[in-house]
Amino acid sequence: MTETMEKDSAQIRAEVREHLRERADKTVRRRMATSTVMSGVCWAAIVVAAVPLVALLFELFHLGWSSISSWSFYSTYSQQPSGNNLSAGGAMGQIIGSVALVVYAVIISVPIGVTMGVFLAESQARAANWLRIVAQTMVSAPSVLMGLFIFKLILLQFGWQPSALAGSLALSILMLPVIAIATEIAVRSVNPSLREAGLALGARPSTTSLRIVLPAALSGIVTGSILAVSRAVGETAPILFVIGGISSGFGWKPFDQVNALPVLIYLNVKQGSYPSQISQAWGMALLLVIVVFVLSLFARIWANRNQKEQR
Amino acid sequence: MTESSPISLIQGVEDQQIEDPRNGPIAMSLSDVAVSFNGRTAVRDINFLVPKNKVTALIGPSGSGKTTLLRSLNRLHDLTKGAKVTGKILLGDTDVYNGGIPTTVLRSRIGMVFQRPNPFPTMSLYDNVVSGLRFNGVKKKSILDAACEESLKAAALWDEIKDRLKAHGSTLSGGQQQRLCIARALAVEPEVLLMDEPTSALDPISTHAIEELMGELKDRVTIVIVTHNMQQAARVSDLTAFLLMGEDRAGEQIEVAPTLKLFSEPDDQRTLDYIQGRFG
Repeated sequence: MTETMEKDSAQIRAEVREHLRERADKTVRRRMATSTVMSGVCWAAIVVAAVPLVALLFELFHLGWSSISSWSFYSTYSQQPSGNNLSAGGAMGQIIGSVALVVYAVIISVPIGVTMGVFLAESQARAANWLRIVAQTMVSAPSVLMGLFIFKLILLQFGWQPSALAGSLALSILMLPVIAIATEIAVRSVNPSLREAGLALGARPSTTSLRIVLPAALSGIVTGSILAVSRAVGETAPILFVIGGISSGFGWKPFDQVNALPVLIYLNVKQGSYPSQISQAWGMALLLVIVVFVLSLFARIWANRNQKEQR
Repeated sequence: MTESSPISLIQGVEDQQIEDPRNGPIAMSLSDVAVSFNGRTAVRDINFLVPKNKVTALIGPSGSGKTTLLRSLNRLHDLTKGAKVTGKILLGDTDVYNGGIPTTVLRSRIGMVFQRPNPFPTMSLYDNVVSGLRFNGVKKKSILDAACEESLKAAALWDEIKDRLKAHGSTLSGGQQQRLCIARALAVEPEVLLMDEPTSALDPISTHAIEELMGELKDRVTIVIVTHNMQQAARVSDLTAFLLMGEDRAGEQIEVAPTLKLFSEPDDQRTLDYIQGRFG
């Protein structure tokens, strides 16, 4: 009995082996074919996705480069072209205004956003869950809403004049949830055993958060903040009606009226009737894209640094 | 299955008079200790004494509550929502849970070393070692410097890293990192050092180094170690507590005895089965 079973078993295994080899050959051939087809599909998708992007960048450089490659773009103020003088001037006032807006917005939103993110990550209170939902909704809320809100509240209700600070507040509302969510993720991704090690050394929970967890999460927080800045710097809608937008000269102090790059792009294209204004708008658009690109690059470098440290 | 116990490396146990370390001074005592999470008991009915300046090993299969018990000793469960520790744990004369001792003070008297080496990644080696002192308010540089050197020497790491104290912890090997964590724990001068499977992430050579270190550290600190590795418990400990998961899936204490006795002639059949590798 055992003998027949052994014989059967050997036969079965031989059959299985034979069948397996046969199938394996076919399977491999089929997989290779599938792989070739799918690679083709992937490449096609990449091309379809890349063509508009490349075309847009090409057009942007083509039309904007002549503006931003001239020094006067950075050293002169914009002006309204007229019969005698067809030049639209430079964008110095807008550059200074945009920088001022972003700087004030960072000063306002980073401390609040980071605190909020730490709260989201560490609090077990029910309020944290609500706050998280609010933050996630705010991230995808239309940006014109922030402008309207500040316009209604600060300008109409409180009677402020349009100013850099009002614009920064609008941008801050835009940046806050981005920073808070990035901070929460960064804090949560810190190895919990580090926190335990801190507590086990006799550190208070707050000391542990501040001196161990936050430094370990810093790279992620910086990355998130840079991304928030790069989103805010190109926004038109939130600041359109709250920064004043003096047509010449520049303001930069918190209660000054200021100019901003995206706003003049909008005005030039909407109202400008001179070719120099259109070309100036392309120049400013190109400048913004370059700034955002550099910021994203920085964010990426920070993120990589972060990963290396975690290892 | 093998019929010899892991302790068979220790010859002639029967001839020796086995001394019970609990007859000497006691560092901690546990009575009726139980830990539960959200009403589910994880470990219960724990009663034993931790002898001072000795190594006490907690052994048992996965799920027997060894680590849970260890973490109750320095109140590390306090921050876990739903965790509850009952019974009485004494550190010397101080009631750990009801003695009014602040957890920060308690935890600087009971240090801990974790399963995986966890040096603080943003701090230099020096800052890592003195971090516990700094957290507790020590600022004087001469004291920090002295404590750093002393505890690194105690952790047998000083000679290897004294020239690069400004480097980061990630530049060390796993075994060195774990010794750094031991130095960090020792720097706050704890009376008791809890070690939660401190060598489970290390290679045999690093493991050997840590085990040797434990023998040397006994003079200055009482050690309680959780280990999966029975040979390790046999090699390093003076007293062994064997835990096992009961029928209600809660860990309970089966036998606590001097290590030599527990591994050579345990009183409980389940202990014998476990040390002979019949389960777990």
